[in-house]
Amino acid sequence: MLLNLVIVQIFNGLVLGMIYVLLAMGLSIVWGMMNIINFSHGLFFAIGAYLAYTIFSVTKNFFIGLILIPIGTALIGILLERTLLRRLYGLNILYQILMTFGIALMGRELIIILYGPIGKSFVPPDILSGTISLGALFFPTYRIFLLFVSILLTIGMWLFIEKTKYGSIIRAGTEDSEMVSALGINISRVFTLIFGLSMAIAGFSGVLSAPIRGVEPMMGEAILGICFAVVIIGGMGSFLGAIIGGVIVGLSQSMVALIMPSASIVVIFLVMALILLIKPRGLLGIRD
Amino acid sequence: MKWDPWKTIFQKNLSLIFILCIFLILPFVLPYTALATEILIFALATIAFDLLLGYTGIMLFCQASFFGTGAYITGLLIHHFHLNIFMTMGAAILGAAFLALLFGYMATQRAGTYSVLLTLAFNELIFFIAYQWKTLTGGSDGLRDIPRPNLEIPGLLNVNLFSETRFYFFALFFFIFSFILIKKITESPFGKVLQGIRENETRAQAIGYNTRLFKVVAFIIGGIFMGLAGNLYAMFMNFVDINHVAFDTSGKIVMMELIGGMGTLFGPILGAGIVTLASDIACAYWERWLLILGAVFVAFVLFARGGVWGLIENLIGWVRVPRPEKE
Repeated sequence: MLLNLVIVQIFNGLVLGMIYVLLAMGLSIVWGMMNIINFSHGLFFAIGAYLAYTIFSVTKNFFIGLILIPIGTALIGILLERTLLRRLYGLNILYQILMTFGIALMGRELIIILYGPIGKSFVPPDILSGTISLGALFFPTYRIFLLFVSILLTIGMWLFIEKTKYGSIIRAGTEDSEMVSALGINISRVFTLIFGLSMAIAGFSGVLSAPIRGVEPMMGEAILGICFAVVIIGGMGSFLGAIIGGVIVGLSQSMVALIMPSASIVVIFLVMALILLIKPRGLLGIRD
Repeated sequence: MKWDPWKTIFQKNLSLIFILCIFLILPFVLPYTALATEILIFALATIAFDLLLGYTGIMLFCQASFFGTGAYITGLLIHHFHLNIFMTMGAAILGAAFLALLFGYMATQRAGTYSVLLTLAFNELIFFIAYQWKTLTGGSDGLRDIPRPNLEIPGLLNVNLFSETRFYFFALFFFIFSFILIKKITESPFGKVLQGIRENETRAQAIGYNTRLFKVVAFIIGGIFMGLAGNLYAMFMNFVDINHVAFDTSGKIVMMELIGGMGTLFGPILGAGIVTLASDIACAYWERWLLILGAVFVAFVLFARGGVWGLIENLIGWVRVPRPEKE
């Protein structure tokens, strides 16, 4: 019986972890390449979830949102980068952080104005509701779907970064973006695309997690801190690190929830502090 | 010329006297005294943060954990033990300073963006501990029933601080005291090293300074005064809200700092005043006024990175120096 519980919690931890992985990937790429800590990353997660809520209640089709919303958040991200963030390149990195912080605050208030301060619940679409049984164990279909899709996306991102020409630009840019620009690559356009891509994934993970956790205005802020911990554990700019970090955090959160539910979030940051003490750069950090 | 000691003292401390005058008038100008106290306490937290961001160039997002820890320690000590006012203050400062040492040590291991990320994560850690440890902190309900202790020096003095005006002047004493200390620190050789680190850390290292040590000490000093601010705030509010330890409070202090003008000590005071007053006025009209504050903040980041103080200085410079094209 206990074993079953542990297996179910491992499954739940992986589901949770994959959401963190998706968010941390984008955060980590932007951080590594553009040296921006994007405080509005959580906001785009929330935007994705809220748009999913709207689209689902209007069209009753979850999958339209899953495809359209990432494009939408990517466009908002690109707009943001082009109009606001761009003006701050070359200045102290502090101002880019402050800018994204201000945007996150505005976005949260805008969400409250549009949708109200109280969260809303969200049921998974009919095809994905119900459970799949595996022996004596039951797994919710939607969570299996989420796990499957997010793993697929992660593999896709890995192939993109490791095997394509754009991916090599990203990897090179994480090492030294100035040098990449000196080699004749239009780094400014790359920055815009990277930011858009990161926001697309953030929006996508917002859509994916909406049926599990519902939507509420503070969801972006709540998950941002955890994602920072994931990126710190994984190491800055490391793609693999983001994946490992996300899974570690998801699993430790769900395992501790089994023993002491109230400590399940605190433990994330304790794990982070522990890893920092042992490996100050995080598990797979490239540079400071 | 006859040497006039009073005149020298006056000239040397013109800025201090100016601030003192403003804060002496403030509670009588504002609609209610509590608003002035709120400004005062946040001004204290923000000048402490100014020492870190404005003078040392360290960005952090764990102000709330220092402020909130000070507030919670005060609340718990008064709630459970009814300790003397100065003992709670000492304990709050010690607690915040210890936390600052811990966080400072960890955060300064890495430079730049990495340390910013770390401080936010630390703040979340403290927040979730306060949020979940309900038996100790009251969780999301906050810590209630914190009667304001008397201003008591055994054998000398025993005054109750129940009146808002009295508490204001009590807080003002500590504010002015802290302001003088922080100002002296920024003017001291130690402060000059901090500014050197802000301008170019590598160069400061090359001269032979252990910059990490300086940064950790700056963290501790900042933590001390933020803890003091938290201590005063807990006594002022008579309860500790979970928000005091949350990211929102850190963000508020960051906004006050930038809108006021960082690295000036006067700017942050101005920023604390502007943000507190604006939120008090705007709250009555529109609950979601933070949207406007966010927009104003973004505008300052884009166009006026010197803050309001910087704008004032520009204006003064513009008025004083006649423009060349003028006939």
